[in-house]
Amino acid sequence: MNKILLLEDLPEIRSWLKALALQVFPNAQVSEAARVHDALALVSAERFEVALIDLGLPDGSGVDVVAALRENQPEAQSVVVTIHDDDDHLFPALQAGAFGYLLKEQPREHFVEQLQRISQGEPPLSPSIARRVIAYFAAQNKPQERPQALPHVSLTDRENEVLLWVAKGFTLPEIGVQLNLSRHTIADYVKQIYRKLNVSSRAEAALEAQRLGLFRR
Amino acid sequence: MRSRLRSDYAFSRLAVLLRGLLVFALMALCLPCRAQADPPPVLFEGELRILTSALAVPGPELEYPADRPATKVRLPDDWWVSRPKADGPVWYRLTFDAPAQPDRLLAAYIERVCSNAEIHLNGRIIYSGGRMTEPVTRNCHYPQLVSLPAGLLHDGENVLDIKVMGYALQKVSTRQRSGGLSVVKVGPQAVLEAEYASDRFWSLTMVEVITVATTMLGLLVLCLGWLNPREPHLLWFGLMTLMWNVMSVRILARDLPLDNGTVELLLGAGWAAVTALSVQFLLSHANLRSRTIEICLMLQCALVPMTLVLAGPHRLFVVMSAWQLLMVCEVIATMGLYLFAVWHHRKEEFWLMAVTLFGLGALLVLERAVQHDLLDPLRPNLAHFAMPAVFLVLGTRQLRSFSRALQDAEAARNSLESRVAEATAEMERNYAQMAELRVEQVTEKERKRIAGDLHDDLGAKLLTIVHTSESERISSLAREALEEMRLSVKGLTGKPLPVADALADWRAETVLRLGQAGVEADWRSPTEDLTQQLSARAFVQTTRILREAISNVIKHSGASHCKVRCTLGESDFVLVVQDNGKGIPMELDGKLDRGHGMASMKHRAKQMQGQCLVESGPGYGTVIRLTLPL
Repeated sequence: MNKILLLEDLPEIRSWLKALALQVFPNAQVSEAARVHDALALVSAERFEVALIDLGLPDGSGVDVVAALRENQPEAQSVVVTIHDDDDHLFPALQAGAFGYLLKEQPREHFVEQLQRISQGEPPLSPSIARRVIAYFAAQNKPQERPQALPHVSLTDRENEVLLWVAKGFTLPEIGVQLNLSRHTIADYVKQIYRKLNVSSRAEAALEAQRLGLFRR
Repeated sequence: MRSRLRSDYAFSRLAVLLRGLLVFALMALCLPCRAQADPPPVLFEGELRILTSALAVPGPELEYPADRPATKVRLPDDWWVSRPKADGPVWYRLTFDAPAQPDRLLAAYIERVCSNAEIHLNGRIIYSGGRMTEPVTRNCHYPQLVSLPAGLLHDGENVLDIKVMGYALQKVSTRQRSGGLSVVKVGPQAVLEAEYASDRFWSLTMVEVITVATTMLGLLVLCLGWLNPREPHLLWFGLMTLMWNVMSVRILARDLPLDNGTVELLLGAGWAAVTALSVQFLLSHANLRSRTIEICLMLQCALVPMTLVLAGPHRLFVVMSAWQLLMVCEVIATMGLYLFAVWHHRKEEFWLMAVTLFGLGALLVLERAVQHDLLDPLRPNLAHFAMPAVFLVLGTRQLRSFSRALQDAEAARNSLESRVAEATAEMERNYAQMAELRVEQVTEKERKRIAGDLHDDLGAKLLTIVHTSESERISSLAREALEEMRLSVKGLTGKPLPVADALADWRAETVLRLGQAGVEADWRSPTEDLTQQLSARAFVQTTRILREAISNVIKHSGASHCKVRCTLGESDFVLVVQDNGKGIPMELDGKLDRGHGMASMKHRAKQMQGQCLVESGPGYGTVIRLTLPL
């Protein structure tokens, strides 16, 4: 039986999301939270397989919950559910370990389809996010900007290629056709990109914390 | 340390050089002057009689002491040769023949008599050069022309008695100042006048002129040095020139209110001062000043008069000669040092300075040779006006370099001004940029706040409508409103967007939407590197137009295929959306259906100085052609 964390402050939307979640994961047990504080308490108390997390909450940002989940329950799949479609909001969540994002205003059937895809390991990737990821890794690969102690996480040529195609506005199925790869393989590349983004970001954050003397085990 | 070694080395090399130079000068100049045969007592040169022989009797008498034994001397009679230890006065008796009634006025011309003379013709005094007792008039540099009154002349032999007052060599500091009498020329006054005038001009007038000129120059340079503490050599040069000119007074001034000993003592001190100033000038001009040398020079200035006093009046010449030799060596060594430094730092100045200083050095060596009786004194004395000439050259050089420095300063000031102007402009630019940045930051912050508010309030409410409305139409309208709101927020940034990014975003959205609606999408846009930028407003408006066009294709056309073409021109870009649907039905008035949002698309295009053309007909599909300036 799946356990799902649902963090959303608007009751109507929360119930709408809950219905959808149950549609995708029929026998799931959904734990609801309206605040970051409650969600963090749930994260430390229970184990989840999937988490639907809103970003803009009355007492903070859902990114903290994403990070806490990634830290304590790495196997849990965090999906950001938001009204924001811009990379300024989404990129930090992806860096913190979110495995995809969904825009809340989508029609029910699109939303369900995308959630299903994410749960099957096919996260979406928009051109602006792809551009942001490219810029992030380009900066990481400049030796003068990268601290020596930072573990070197770099994308493979294929992953880069996929990112470049996405950044140009091609959809993942289109890229599969272009590169003569299966849809499944393309999805794996995207998954790897998300994972590497998170690993690199976490290492960077840890190093930064250590540098500031804030690192605690 | 290293420069010290270098200068020591330069000194030693210079000394060797000087020794060689001295020997050479002596060989070249001394040999011919010494070997002279005894001439006859009277030489005739045209109308002139040159008296080269006299009877000499030392004595202070008022008339020629005929009662005492006389010695026969050859003129010129230099006392340092004939009576090295004795002072004057000395009586000279010269005889010459003259016609009783000459047709022209006769005169006697004495080129040099030192220090002063009284002249008697046939026992009657006819001329006195000035005081014959201390302080004795100093006529050493003044030629004497004495008219011979016709009334006193005898037919036949005439007697010319000359009483000369002078000093032994040891009581004066230079050989030119020791007692002596040159040959006496007797002849028509008109002829002698010319020679007298010429001698006087070269020995005195020239010195006067140059003294005045160099005094002016010295004062000028002194003022410049005074006003420019960073150019100390100007000060030294001015002082050196003025000091030299003070020394020149010894030649020009005949009646000084001081006795000979005092005057010579002062002159000795004066030479020490001139030497000190010259050395200081050269050293500071070459930036080689040293505290030790300065102290030594000051010490020398004090020591010279002290040793002269200690040695007493009877050893003045020998002590002074030693000092002067030392001073000349100092000056020449400094010149060498100076040229050495100039050769390494200011080559362009080297040759002029080298020639000038070599000339000066040669003069000094010649003068020394004269003082040490290795050379006969040259008449006129070269040093008297050649030295100031050297000063003139040096002074004009100083003025020139000063004016050049002024020009440089002017140029530097100009360049500084322009640099200040540049810096000011740069600062202003930076300030403007900072202000702009600040405005941008504030704007960005405000935009974020507005965006946050919109999303939190309006967005949340619209979202609630989207997901709670029973009516599909209302939730779809709310969804569109939400998308519209998001786009408006994006437009708030005002940041231009690369065309390539805009195209990618449009492509992704269009292909996704068409794909979700089951319409085959065919998107083509330039793939090469695009450098153009699109304003935020153009991006937002174009997104709206494209979104509307695609919505029309999805909702109304019933098309199975949609082509999107995007082309970029020099100054515009064109977006064509073409479907194979059923076209837009005409209204009764011949216009296209307003419900399809055509009017708002056209309006948006017009707002951006572009145009949106719609071609459609039932059964032919629809082509929307959007052209916008970049």
